[in-house]
Amino acid sequence: MHTSRFLGGGQRRDHLILLALMLAALCVPGVLNRGLVFIAGMVWINAVFGLSFNLLFGLSGVLSFGQAMFFAAGAYAAAVLTQQMAVPFVAALLLAALVGAVLAALVGVVALRRSEGVYFAILTLAFAELLHLLIANTAFLGRNDGLAGLARPSLGFGSWRVDLAAGDNFYYFIVLACGLLIAFIRWIVDTPFGRALQAIKQDPERAEFLGIPVRLHRLVIFVLAGATTAAAGALIAPWAQIVTPELAHWSNSTNPILYTLLGGSAYFWGPVLGAVVLSAVFYLTRTLVGMSDMVTGLLLLVVVVSLPGGILGLLARWTRPAPAVRARVAIETEGSR
Amino acid sequence: MTHLDRRSVLKYSAAAAAMAGVPGLVRAQSGPLKIGLITPLSGPQEFIGSYVRNGAEIAVEQINKAGGILGRQVALEIRDDKANPAAALAAARELLGAGINLHTGGISSAVVLALGPVMQQENGVFMTCGAGTEKMNHENYSPNLFRPGDAPDARTRAQARLMAEKYPEVTRWTGLVPDHEYGRTTWSIFVDALLEYYPAIAKKKPVILEPVLMPYGVADYRNGITQALRQQADGVFNCTYGGDAITMFQQARGFGLMQRYKVVCDAANEFLIARGMKQQLPPHWTGMHYYAEANKGNPMSDRFVADYLAKTKDAEPLGWAAEAHASLYAFKQAIEKGKSSETQAVIANLKGLTWDTATGPRTMRAEDNQAIKDVELVYIEPAATDKGYKVSQYTKVDGKSVIFPPSPGKKLSLKTA
Amino acid sequence: MQAADIVTLLVNSLTWAMATFLVAAGLTLVFGTLHILNFSHGGFFMIGAYAAYSIADALGGSGSMAVYLFGSLAAGVLVALLGLVVDRLVLRRLAGVEDAYVLIATYALLLVCEGSTKLLWGLNYHSVMPPAVLDGAWIAGNAVLPKLSLFIVAAGVVVFVGLEYFLNRTGPGRLVKAIAADPWMARLLGVNVRLVYTATVAIGFALAGLAGGLLVSNQTLSPTLASAFVIQAFGVIIIGGMGSISGAFLGAILLGLIDAFGQWVLPGLPGLPFFVAMTLILLLRPQGLMGKAKH
Repeated sequence: MHTSRFLGGGQRRDHLILLALMLAALCVPGVLNRGLVFIAGMVWINAVFGLSFNLLFGLSGVLSFGQAMFFAAGAYAAAVLTQQMAVPFVAALLLAALVGAVLAALVGVVALRRSEGVYFAILTLAFAELLHLLIANTAFLGRNDGLAGLARPSLGFGSWRVDLAAGDNFYYFIVLACGLLIAFIRWIVDTPFGRALQAIKQDPERAEFLGIPVRLHRLVIFVLAGATTAAAGALIAPWAQIVTPELAHWSNSTNPILYTLLGGSAYFWGPVLGAVVLSAVFYLTRTLVGMSDMVTGLLLLVVVVSLPGGILGLLARWTRPAPAVRARVAIETEGSR
Repeated sequence: MTHLDRRSVLKYSAAAAAMAGVPGLVRAQSGPLKIGLITPLSGPQEFIGSYVRNGAEIAVEQINKAGGILGRQVALEIRDDKANPAAALAAARELLGAGINLHTGGISSAVVLALGPVMQQENGVFMTCGAGTEKMNHENYSPNLFRPGDAPDARTRAQARLMAEKYPEVTRWTGLVPDHEYGRTTWSIFVDALLEYYPAIAKKKPVILEPVLMPYGVADYRNGITQALRQQADGVFNCTYGGDAITMFQQARGFGLMQRYKVVCDAANEFLIARGMKQQLPPHWTGMHYYAEANKGNPMSDRFVADYLAKTKDAEPLGWAAEAHASLYAFKQAIEKGKSSETQAVIANLKGLTWDTATGPRTMRAEDNQAIKDVELVYIEPAATDKGYKVSQYTKVDGKSVIFPPSPGKKLSLKTA
Repeated sequence: MQAADIVTLLVNSLTWAMATFLVAAGLTLVFGTLHILNFSHGGFFMIGAYAAYSIADALGGSGSMAVYLFGSLAAGVLVALLGLVVDRLVLRRLAGVEDAYVLIATYALLLVCEGSTKLLWGLNYHSVMPPAVLDGAWIAGNAVLPKLSLFIVAAGVVVFVGLEYFLNRTGPGRLVKAIAADPWMARLLGVNVRLVYTATVAIGFALAGLAGGLLVSNQTLSPTLASAFVIQAFGVIIIGGMGSISGAFLGAILLGLIDAFGQWVLPGLPGLPFFVAMTLILLLRPQGLMGKAKH
């Protein structure tokens, strides 16, 4: 976990993995039924949600417990723009990402200035709940009922129209859009900016001495993560065709954290794997009614207590002959909080 | 009764194991007729969802024993919607994708509103077993959504009329209203009806006080209760719901709030408050989707109560179970009438259908897919028995006399908005 | 607003405040000493409430004050024992682990609490009546003061005084404080830090269970009880300063007053003043009212 490189292999390797995943995803509608296609679409959106969270947590060492606020902001922005203001969908998507970025800038400027660690996490939780309250009490956002009946858009480029409401077209659009977002996130990791963030996570004091503007970097990555999260949220509006204030509830903020920890936060693909595995677990236990709480809880406990590196961490340990460096040093961390 | 005992855990494990390997279920033409049951089976609405499930299962058992529908046995495909639209959508799409076009369940308003467009797109039918939103018959109307049970406006108006009839001298009214859409709309409909019925029946003009808005989803109602105390109203209409309502009544006891009113009218909690508080409950009127005593002598009702007792050891099935029961019988009649279980045929035959249920015959209005049925109102008082409460009065109101005329596609408009 | 109204409002705020303090006390104690923010604290509070309900039921109902108090204390002991199990299996392994993992692990534990509660007690709503001596209210002019409210306020004060006395005036209590401040030094001085940690966890959980029992007649018993108090308790300990009992006490009172007056002034936006206050404190004085400033 505290290794100096954000393990993800080279960019080229990851681009190939992404391409392979997208190709596999495009085959899904031919093989599985509509319900599973719906879930697959959700998995892609959740994967982007998780990866955005990990930009903050795994890459930069910033723990945010309020990412749901950006997800909800993006979803509601897209809903309002398309349903009430007749904005074409792609434009609405970009605007939603912008809304997420602006919100993150506002929250970040205020919150990052004043706190870090656990305090920052709880502050983001408080802001998210604030947004949740505001949405639930605003008439034109539908209050507690949210906005329903959102239509799947049709895209037009000049004389060429694609109707995303027909068949599985919107699913393909989701795969494409999420693929682009994932490629963007991956690109960030390998830039000098990304490497600087890793240095900040390692040792913020030393990074400051080296001339890296720590607070500014954290703000920028917070804004970027807010934008990609909002973009993912915007995709959910036409996919589920309803947006409700639950999207901003703190339990939705825990989702990307779950995906990331389950898959392994030290690995680029960790959140994606976590999203897939968790969705599979929920799907398989869907008829085991009433037990979903217990199953999720126990699964997570086991992962966190015995598999802190997540699934990918476990696989890495198995494929490495020498025992991995145990990054948890009890004495050092106990006294330094 | 609602414990998850080992036997059911094993049963569900086996079912899950069986389902785990079958992602794309083949459409069965001659096998059992599968009907989807999408209802909350975990989370805050779990308790009510369990009634829906039991009622549906009993209906299916009864129907199968009598030969099934068009000669085919009926099987329920049960999915948990967690009272959450995203989970409901996933479940609905899965079932629709597997070839199941008829569904029932749905008690959460958000879920019902979310499923409307999907059912239309994917050519399915969905019946709600007790969602409170009036929007599904108004601006969110969809031909694929049906409400085989009480219309929210019919019950609320029946309650207001009953108040005017039985308590003509109670003219100062206030409300305990949860601060969300359903709460506010229910209160508006009640007020509108008070303003219509009191002058007509009691020959007095009612004084409507500013309702007390109760925070939603919290554990402390004392400030709202204090506000209500200050108002000194004579009659109170409570729209708070479920566990929140019980907590509010519990805390109100300490203040002696309910004792200060001449009449307490509760919108929709059936026996929840009575069972929660037992001897400590304040006497109050409430609406029931189904009250067994009021339907004694109706063979369908008697059989329903007996089967429910045998299955769950619960002698008092709450209304939602009966709504689920009625929905399946509606499907049965519509399918048999049109000799087809295809969606468009079922929709056409559900519209205008009159069918028998445990509360007597009901008619499904063709214009807005809303059923017209008798409204059942009961007066509950504490009693020195094990149960802790008893129903000392009940009345059945003819639904036709109180329901609003249909206006699908249009927002609900009250005369006294 | 008349005087009677203000009195009632004050009593309502204090009731909410003391109820929240009862829940938050154990949470802040565990955080202050072990630096573990236990998301599942609300879950154990809920288990304590259900346990107290079952105990009272078995002993013939909660009508007698003696049975009610006994039930609360027994619930406290039971949950303390559960806390020892949790400490062994989960918390010990989280020593030195990053905060995110701890939060997730304790969140997972919360889910397990909720699932177990449903399995053991079912889905029904239960309403536990306060003991007969606490039924009804004192009427002071136009002010209505429910006896249960006054009991809750008294309980909160008693627990606060007891904890402060323990931490500041007794040997073991001062040891807990010392270890919270500097575990490394304490270890150097030969203190068995592990043992004190375990004892603190037990006390923290016992407080959760006790709170559950004392508050069982304050609201409906349902498996969603845990989530109802989580955010409130967090808010209170943030404002008070994580790790400080007196901070939690003052923070609860402050938030209670803000919330009550906020509901008076802004009835359309319930809960808003609470979050605004929480956010402002975190921004202006992140260590909370009584916390130590970060170096």
